[in-house]
Amino acid sequence: MDLDVSSGEIVSILGPNGAGKTTFLRQLTTELRPTAGSIHVFGVDAVREPHAAKESMGITPQEAGLFDALTVREHLALFGRLKGLRAHQCGPEADRLLDELNLREAASRRVGTLSGGQRRRILIGLALLGRPPLLILDEPTTGLDPASRRDVWGVLRGAVSAGASIVLSTHYMEEAERLSDRIAIVSDGRVVACGSVTELMARIRESYRVTWVDCGGERHVTRWETFADAQASIARRGLSEYSIARASLEDVYFELVGARYPDVEIEEAVAQ
Amino acid sequence: MTRRLSDAVCVFRIHLARLRAETGPFLIAGIVFPCVMYMFATAVASPGGNGPAPELRIRFLAGSIVFSLSMTAISWLGYLLLENRFTGRLKLFATLPLASSSYVFGIVAFALVQAVLGTTSLLVVARVFGVEPSVAGVGAAARLAAVILLTVLCVSGISVVIAARARSFSEGSLTTDALGAGLVFVAPVYYSTHALPRALQLAAYVLPTTYAADGVRTLLGGGTAVNRELLALSVMTVVTLGVGFRVMRWQEE
Repeated sequence: MDLDVSSGEIVSILGPNGAGKTTFLRQLTTELRPTAGSIHVFGVDAVREPHAAKESMGITPQEAGLFDALTVREHLALFGRLKGLRAHQCGPEADRLLDELNLREAASRRVGTLSGGQRRRILIGLALLGRPPLLILDEPTTGLDPASRRDVWGVLRGAVSAGASIVLSTHYMEEAERLSDRIAIVSDGRVVACGSVTELMARIRESYRVTWVDCGGERHVTRWETFADAQASIARRGLSEYSIARASLEDVYFELVGARYPDVEIEEAVAQ
Repeated sequence: MTRRLSDAVCVFRIHLARLRAETGPFLIAGIVFPCVMYMFATAVASPGGNGPAPELRIRFLAGSIVFSLSMTAISWLGYLLLENRFTGRLKLFATLPLASSSYVFGIVAFALVQAVLGTTSLLVVARVFGVEPSVAGVGAAARLAAVILLTVLCVSGISVVIAARARSFSEGSLTTDALGAGLVFVAPVYYSTHALPRALQLAAYVLPTTYAADGVRTLLGGGTAVNRELLALSVMTVVTLGVGFRVMRWQEE
């Protein structure tokens, strides 16, 4: 894995299960010692000086537990202290995050009584405590409803506007597409492609997809390099009902990780 | 150093909130169970119903205090550490710029508070049962506090090692439960060393509960000569906590 993240940038890590996303993030957060290579966080060698590296990180692990007996505000205040905030800074910082993460109404409730989505937002809040310059978020919005997910995106964009850099892993193509400056696609422990959405899209040669259903009810998909080629194929077949679409990030993803939806593969074979 | 201390206090406060929410299990583990053991030992030692001799009562009280410390600092604390590890809470601490020693000391401070509550409660309850402990002045009280502190630190170190090494929650909690009770019943806590089989008499020399019970019994009985016990507990504390700090790491290889 070879990846540089610039200041104020959001980089998403996309990849199938077992590709190495979480392992990479665990190494980045110093939880897992790499067998080889180096990791530098703002000039600090994260392998040799994990404690110093963590000073500038806010981390949301994929699976982390909260303390059911503590309230939301107590979590933010106590973990704020552990992140090095002074006692008088913890209250205002907790208030800021309660508002940003839409947790104000639950502030005095014990975490044990909250929903999974609210608990996930608290974990993101803990990472944001003290406005760390680097946020590392492992599938931060998994389990959130669409509205909460958008709220979190807003909060992350706000953190970036304030100068933070973000590295996040996600399974949601939409999240990667909407949120990231660059996307790193990972497969078998390697970065197989890294770039902006536009740059990644340019990697697909046949980027127009024509879909139609024949009189027998069977669905067909064909791919074309240009819009004109796609239109010509429609005319040749005399199709009256069809859809024509540009390749998506999902197409790029499946192209690069070497796997496609099996039904699409079959339909393409039938079409050709 | 100040930062580490402040971090340990935060870890302590986080766990103290549990005591607020889970007072029932704490009372059972730290107070009710040892009280019942005191009553049981008293009943066995006086089948006629007249009650055992005063020195036996002091032995049973000292034994129950050590039982309470063992339950608190091994079973209860071990459960807490295992729960933190296997429910992902430890991961939350590991993401922070927090020294693992601050985490351990914060947790041990929590165990100490429970130990103080448990011991005080047992000393109060003892008077209800007609036991009159006679601690010989402030110096002896300070030594009693030192014995309790060292006992908790020493057995907490064992909990840290088990919690860090256990392969699963059930494996770890079974081990801490077995040790919490085992260290009390294998050692000469409720009875004298001579009542033990020869092999256990030898084993008793290396068990912290032996020295803890001897120290508490001597001090509650009006004595002050507990230097041997304090020394043994100090050495064992250095060993168990030393190993505990060594195995308790944030980073995996």
